[in-house]
Amino acid sequence: MSLIETKGLQKVFRQAVKDPGLAGAVKHLFTQRYRDKYAVEGIDLKIEEGETVAYVGPNGAGKSTTIKMLSGVLVPSGGEIIVDGRVPYKQRMENAQRIGAVFGQRTQLWWDIPVRESLSLLRDIYQVPTDRFKKNLDVFTELLGMDSFLHLSARKLSLGQRMRADLAAALLHDPKIVYLDEPTIGLDVAVKHRIRDFIKEMNRSKGTTMLLTTHDLGDIEDLCERLVIIDQGRIIYDGKLQEVKDEFARERTIHMQLSSPIPDAEELFRGLPEIQVKRSGDSLEASSDTDLSIRFDRFRCTASDIVKRVMSRGEVVDFRIDEPSIEEIIRRVYDGKLDSAALSAAGKGSA
Amino acid sequence: MESNIRVKNSPWRILYLYWRLYSQQLKAMMEYSADFYIMIGAAAMTQITGFLFLWVVFSRIPDIQGWGLWEVAFMYAAIYVSEGVGSLFFEGTWRMLRLVNMGELDRYLVRPVPIVLQIFCTGIGMNGLGNILIGGSIIAISLSHIDIAWNLQTIVMAVLLFASAMTIRVAINLAANCSAFWIRSSGNAFPIMVHNLGEFAKYPITIFSLGLQLFISIIVPFAFVSFFPAAAMFGKEPWSYWGWFSPLVAAYFVGLALLILRIGLRRYESAGN
Repeated sequence: MSLIETKGLQKVFRQAVKDPGLAGAVKHLFTQRYRDKYAVEGIDLKIEEGETVAYVGPNGAGKSTTIKMLSGVLVPSGGEIIVDGRVPYKQRMENAQRIGAVFGQRTQLWWDIPVRESLSLLRDIYQVPTDRFKKNLDVFTELLGMDSFLHLSARKLSLGQRMRADLAAALLHDPKIVYLDEPTIGLDVAVKHRIRDFIKEMNRSKGTTMLLTTHDLGDIEDLCERLVIIDQGRIIYDGKLQEVKDEFARERTIHMQLSSPIPDAEELFRGLPEIQVKRSGDSLEASSDTDLSIRFDRFRCTASDIVKRVMSRGEVVDFRIDEPSIEEIIRRVYDGKLDSAALSAAGKGSA
Repeated sequence: MESNIRVKNSPWRILYLYWRLYSQQLKAMMEYSADFYIMIGAAAMTQITGFLFLWVVFSRIPDIQGWGLWEVAFMYAAIYVSEGVGSLFFEGTWRMLRLVNMGELDRYLVRPVPIVLQIFCTGIGMNGLGNILIGGSIIAISLSHIDIAWNLQTIVMAVLLFASAMTIRVAINLAANCSAFWIRSSGNAFPIMVHNLGEFAKYPITIFSLGLQLFISIIVPFAFVSFFPAAAMFGKEPWSYWGWFSPLVAAYFVGLALLILRIGLRRYESAGN
């Protein structure tokens, strides 16, 4: 059995239907109408011990709801969940002892007391033995650079400091599983890196299983081998990050800077399939443009092929190759541009 | 870590955690010391006006259906003190509306600590201190005017009745505030309404209609906070017998409140991120 397993997991929220304005509010007092909204609609997910999984999707896709059900906060409306052999909402405390959770927008810390005391309170709550508490605190302080703010109350921390303290709080009791809901939201690059390094280190040294939701594609590329994409409460892709890139990020773009313009550059690539040539400068006289961008399918022709052809006609001063960001791929999935059948086939291939 | 470890919550651990969480709240309050003193001062003012009011009331009601002035004062104070205990030590029940509507229960639910304990320690109502001091004084004065044969037995009984009464009050607060799971309002109207039912139990309940008597004895058992224990202590027939059911009523209502909380938690929807 997998460490985390859900079958047909569902969560329905009841939403009040109100007409706009004061009149609508008054009307609602007398005739209450409700509509069922499926936040999560049949999720089947299996996560093995030690995995780091990115759980992504647009706002309102059901990411947070899933995580809240896994962590025992919400009771599912249907389906099954087993986390480490337990049903989270039934054995809430046993489950809680074994998980850590960071809900990015909300802190686990006590607002008015120093971080150090919050952590020591959590030590009592999770019954962490003193020596292990000391060891973990030392390691975390070092890795997360918390020395400068351990004595401050959470109220006084910057977002980046608070997030680091929250991570430490969530991992203090050596949980087997950690749920991270938007752990890097709104943080600057330096703090993001620090947090990613910390997550990687915990996964590596303690084998902590991580499930994280994020809108930050750097997080996914840096941390996760496996990607689960969810939209409107359903999983639309579950597989290796590399595979989804191979399947849906086939095109590359070579940007070249030439020493002199090549007026009829399009002619160069005659015979190569699916080539798009774009002159990126905005001069009116296209033929005088020295910047050239060529988009191609990397499985149908090679970069060297293209560069070779350009070099036969002129000198390439500089060039770089772009691959589509994971963000773009996911955006395409959201927009329904990708064939969902192809997606699920790719998902099965990797499962 | 083996995965078959169970979370053991012995009574001692619960008490210890209560103390830890409670004292953090205290520390947080004292952090803003000016605020703290203003609050104590304001609370004292409220209590003094309350006391003056009581004094006026009692000077006008000499005797109600065979209950003397000090016996009524005792009941009055019992309700008053229970309110104070509820505020000072279990104020968090009154914060449930916010916990539920703002999704703040999330972080309680991911901790291996009983949810009730965490709710209790969500806040401290310093005004409760005044209730306890003034109400306690009235109880002491009342008892000195009432003829009771004090011995080990009556003392044990008194302690038992007191503990039951306070438990019942807190359980009522908890149950009433669980309405937050059902009523998505921005105010505490329902629990405040339930709380105000306690006003009836400040008097011998026999002055009310039978329906109301049954209501505050069984459905919202405020009568077991004041009237029945008083009847038992003072040997008021035919009610004295009923006072000894207080511990049972306490157990029943705690069970009921926890059940309501449990059902409420199933409906908890957190808040969108």
